[in-house]
Amino acid sequence: MTRDTQWPRWEVFKQDRPDRPHEAVGTVHAPDADVALLNARDVYVRRPSCYSLWVAPESAVFKMTAYELETTPNWWKEDLPEEAPEETYHIFNKQTQRRSMVAVTHVGNIQARSSREALRKAIDSGQFVEKIAYMWWVVPESAITRSNEEDVPSMFEPAEDKTYRDQSYYTGSVFARRSQRRPEDIRLS
Amino acid sequence: MNEQLQQALMDRLVAMADDEVILGHRDSEWTGHAPILEEDIAIANIAQDELGHALIWYELAEPYTGNDADSMAFFRDARQFRNVQMVELPNGDWAFTMLRQYLFDAYEMALLTRLMTSQYAPLAEAAEKIRREEIYHFRHSSIWVERLGLGTEESHARMQRALDHLWPYALQLFRPMPLDAHLVEAGFFPDPDQLQTAWQDVVLPHLKNADLTPPDAEPIYAHRHHHTEHLVDLLADMQLVARSIPKAVW
Repeated sequence: MTRDTQWPRWEVFKQDRPDRPHEAVGTVHAPDADVALLNARDVYVRRPSCYSLWVAPESAVFKMTAYELETTPNWWKEDLPEEAPEETYHIFNKQTQRRSMVAVTHVGNIQARSSREALRKAIDSGQFVEKIAYMWWVVPESAITRSNEEDVPSMFEPAEDKTYRDQSYYTGSVFARRSQRRPEDIRLS
Repeated sequence: MNEQLQQALMDRLVAMADDEVILGHRDSEWTGHAPILEEDIAIANIAQDELGHALIWYELAEPYTGNDADSMAFFRDARQFRNVQMVELPNGDWAFTMLRQYLFDAYEMALLTRLMTSQYAPLAEAAEKIRREEIYHFRHSSIWVERLGLGTEESHARMQRALDHLWPYALQLFRPMPLDAHLVEAGFFPDPDQLQTAWQDVVLPHLKNADLTPPDAEPIYAHRHHHTEHLVDLLADMQLVARSIPKAVW
């Protein structure tokens, strides 16, 4: 049997601006939360705008599609001890098929005793979806590791000054600007 | 600015640029080969940042060298480079690469923090800009020193071996250049001795926390115009395309 040498997967949530919600943009492998945050920065924020990053172990994210909700009878049923403590759960869903790079978007949070209970409460409340949700994710607050506001200048802001932020910058003109010199032109003291 | 101060400034700017361009090239050699995809992306990112910093230093030096950044990087020979030997050493394993990056990042953090108050305004401005990215580099390499130092028996052994090899080379970063006294006097550049103290105050406790011990070895205190044989091979690779088609427009 081959040993699995992959590091665990982490879901990455990126917030473009302070007034925008966090969006699930993909996963990274990492041995722990701190490395996951750095890897998330390198993989997903090398050029795009970013104000804040969250990472959560993929194993801590509870995911249900609309199809699964419809076809799994009593999906909310679970053995939950009566005295299980309440915690904050973050609710994400996908309400449009337009943005293919984003899996789900943060729509709010709810107090519950489990991810399943949080999702049931979120759906029952009717306040987290306008027309249709194709997919739901629930993430307990305790599973999330966040970048700090102090990280913004070193982790995210330098991207704004880069010349080659996306494909449209590769027009050729930027390269052509630099004149080329022959070796014999070079003076050195 | 008198002539000696100008010469001293040019020497330092070129030395800083050469350190960055050579380290950036070494980092870029990992592209496609790093131990895990995420780190492959991270090291390519760091390589590009270091090349970007080299560009800034070369451009600041341009009024004095009379050469643009491309000429400096691609059309000088090994004996004309002023980088420290540490950055030209072959990459070795991931432990060696991360430890070298860490020792260099810590030096750059100490240096840039002080350059931000340099009496030479262009240097102070550039330092402030570059330092933002360096904070991130330093965080990345610090994390790896810790993870590998305290990881498995093998990762610890590889890190300690890298430290035994690199430590004497790292101390070359603090050898004053011949005209440095003029820069220090003018408040352009920090005193290399103070820089070394500041660096050690950060590096020694971190290494200790990672269960790594610097060797009791003589520093490699070469002048910056002395190089190992590795620089010639590195430049042959780095300069090949630019020298093959000197007038190419990209």
